[in-house]
Amino acid sequence: MANIISIENLSYTYPESESPAVDNVSLEINKGEWISIVGKNGSGKSTLTRLIDGLLEASSGTISVAGQKLTEESLWDIREKIGIVFQNPDHQFVGATVEDDVAFGLENQGIERDQMVREVDQALKLVDMQDFKNRDPQSLSGGQKQRVAIAGVLAVNPEIIILDESTSMLDPEGRETVLSLVKDLWQNKGMTIISITHDIQETALSQRVVIMKNGHLVEDLTPAQLFVMDDLKQYGLDKPFTTLLKEKLNFDPEYQDEEELISKLWKLN
Amino acid sequence: MDKLIFGRYLPGDSIIYRLDPRGKFLITFYFIGIVFLANNVASYALLLAFVLFSVYLSKINIGFFIKGLRPMLFLIVFTVLLQMFFTPSTDPLWKFGVLQLSTDGMVIAGYILLRFVVIIFISTLLTLTTTPIEISDSIESILKPLRYVKFPVTQVALSLSIALRFVPLLIDETVKIMDAQRARGVDFGEGGLLKRIKSFVPILIPLFVSSFSIAYDLAIAMESRGYKDGEGRTKYRQLHWKKIDNYTVLVIALLTVCLLLVRSY
Amino acid sequence: MEIKLNNVSHSYESQNPDAGLGLDGVSLTIKDKSFTALIGKTGSGKSTLVKHINALLKPTSGTIKIGDREIDSKTNNKNLKPLRQKIGMVFQFPESQLFEETVEKDIMFGPMNFGATEEEARESAKDALKLVGIEESYLQQSPFDLSGGQMRRVAIAGVLASNPETIILDEPTAGLDPVGRIEIMDLFKKLNKQGKTIILVTHNMDDVADYAEYTYVMQNSKLVGQGTPKEIFNNKELVDSGIVSLPQSANFAKKLAEKKYVFDQLPITIDELSNMIKEQLENNG
Repeated sequence: MANIISIENLSYTYPESESPAVDNVSLEINKGEWISIVGKNGSGKSTLTRLIDGLLEASSGTISVAGQKLTEESLWDIREKIGIVFQNPDHQFVGATVEDDVAFGLENQGIERDQMVREVDQALKLVDMQDFKNRDPQSLSGGQKQRVAIAGVLAVNPEIIILDESTSMLDPEGRETVLSLVKDLWQNKGMTIISITHDIQETALSQRVVIMKNGHLVEDLTPAQLFVMDDLKQYGLDKPFTTLLKEKLNFDPEYQDEEELISKLWKLN
Repeated sequence: MDKLIFGRYLPGDSIIYRLDPRGKFLITFYFIGIVFLANNVASYALLLAFVLFSVYLSKINIGFFIKGLRPMLFLIVFTVLLQMFFTPSTDPLWKFGVLQLSTDGMVIAGYILLRFVVIIFISTLLTLTTTPIEISDSIESILKPLRYVKFPVTQVALSLSIALRFVPLLIDETVKIMDAQRARGVDFGEGGLLKRIKSFVPILIPLFVSSFSIAYDLAIAMESRGYKDGEGRTKYRQLHWKKIDNYTVLVIALLTVCLLLVRSY
Repeated sequence: MEIKLNNVSHSYESQNPDAGLGLDGVSLTIKDKSFTALIGKTGSGKSTLVKHINALLKPTSGTIKIGDREIDSKTNNKNLKPLRQKIGMVFQFPESQLFEETVEKDIMFGPMNFGATEEEARESAKDALKLVGIEESYLQQSPFDLSGGQMRRVAIAGVLASNPETIILDEPTAGLDPVGRIEIMDLFKKLNKQGKTIILVTHNMDDVADYAEYTYVMQNSKLVGQGTPKEIFNNKELVDSGIVSLPQSANFAKKLAEKKYVFDQLPITIDELSNMIKEQLENNG
């Protein structure tokens, strides 16, 4: 598989800070991959994704996105390839109505109005929000707002979607709808998904997990490997439910997802 | 926040809602201008009839317009009384010192009252039937010629529309912070002036902090969605000048002519 | 201090003619020193309900009895301080209420408003900060220099410092990482053990199962269910209609029930679940 993002020896220090927020990180992300980035608050996860999108300028190191090196000149091309859905649904809504907000990215690219209308409709259909086209954002639930945010990102046809704790402020129902939408996009549209999360169950959806700690990338593993790690707490993660249950039942700590555990218990009974 | 009827949009649908906001915006201002042409019973009756007919067409309950008068009530009563008792007359009905009551004075006071009513009704009609974003679109469209003198019209319009978009959010935030501080024992309506002013510090600071954090997050989100500086942007929202808008202009022109006629009558 | 709502309704109509009722004929009792959870979907009326308990909102009709104090639509806005001192409220994302130059001053704000002397308030601030697990050395720092999780704790300390008898928590752990979440929830459990009444508004069903003694369920501004967490999560009507979702253990047990396992009642905590599994394995194996 081809790399869609390659990061080499990337470092960044915030102007008001002494220690680097991202410290000599190298990472290759494959096209079509769903990768989770986990780690405590302040470990550098969000900073890393902002560097990838050129929202922050790296102190040292290089980033390439879809074969293009991130520079001052390529910045806007690269941003077209990456869509970010942020944490707080209220803080990223630019438009006065749902359709206006979805159109924002298209307007920035100078797309003709007729085409915009089509793209907005299509994007809203993808996230199943077409009935809310004329609504104002304040009348939507958190989950609906995030779906609109995803539509806004989809409208410009990016190759990569970054979810920056996009579900952390939602109620369980909203989280469910957003995650199933992302899953659908990943499977059917071949997008690359980078998801920053604190929810260990959410990482199970991805193919690969990287752990950050104090600006370093400390682990690069599969969700299965992550689930059986015993020092998850230091990365701000909960023990997965299945692991906890197996501990209580004195089972081997090998990795099993919920279904596997259920069928194992079935056989035992 | 329930007192802010004046200036608030009321979702609905009628011929007035569907008019081009630019037209509505300009006509409202034009109308306020020609109100001052009226000088006799017939001309005021004409204005009032026009306003009431527009209100009728809007299909909005007249109660909303009457509520719109409320914040101005003090000013209205004050001005009307002033006219009523201080209009000099050679033939006063009643006199006490500088105060005098006369037929002339009462008629003028009546005119002033009518003037207030029609102006407030027509501007309430504009805000009730036009979304803030339509108003900001209209302003952008009207200011367009200023681009030739290098005035950043699109940027200003975008800032304006974003500001409007965040007003409800900031109101929610204010209510929430006020509740939180009241729960911590702040009493907003109590004590002397200084104490009252001081009691707003615990609201203003958190409000500033969250406004800045919203602004920061929003700036990042906008940049990530490819916003540069407004150059080369296309526009999704479009205003359409329709036949009905032409008719509206005709009506208002006709009104002006009639007004000029009855004025010298 | 027992809290009793008697047929409480609240209408938002005065603010927005289109808005309906925020609360619709709610009657419930929150026992003294209990840990009570209030659950329901976003917009179901939970937040509106708890705001009535310390008179941030007043009922349009009905009465609320808090100890010997009664609140109804005519209650005057003055003299609410003694009530608000007894009922602390931690709002969603409480860190947004911080405003003072130092952590100490911010925590002292509540007690001072409620009439404590500066000395007393300073003492309470120190104790409250310790309670939420932050070192004393932070007292003189600006709250705005702290991390998000620390700000949350300082804000909570600001509520605890007034020594309320009842503490209302509106999604106190929203946005925290899982480790921070457990620490905060354990703190409230401890406070409950020390004799404080805790009212928890939450979407997290695991927290309800792990911490609450009694649960009220709201839907469309009405009270639609009540009982122990066990009763609520075993209430087929509430669960099947989607009003109540299940904690992880109950969910897992439900799936096991399709595979030869038998649960008379769904377990709601992981301990219950593992014990029930063990029992069945021993009996059969």
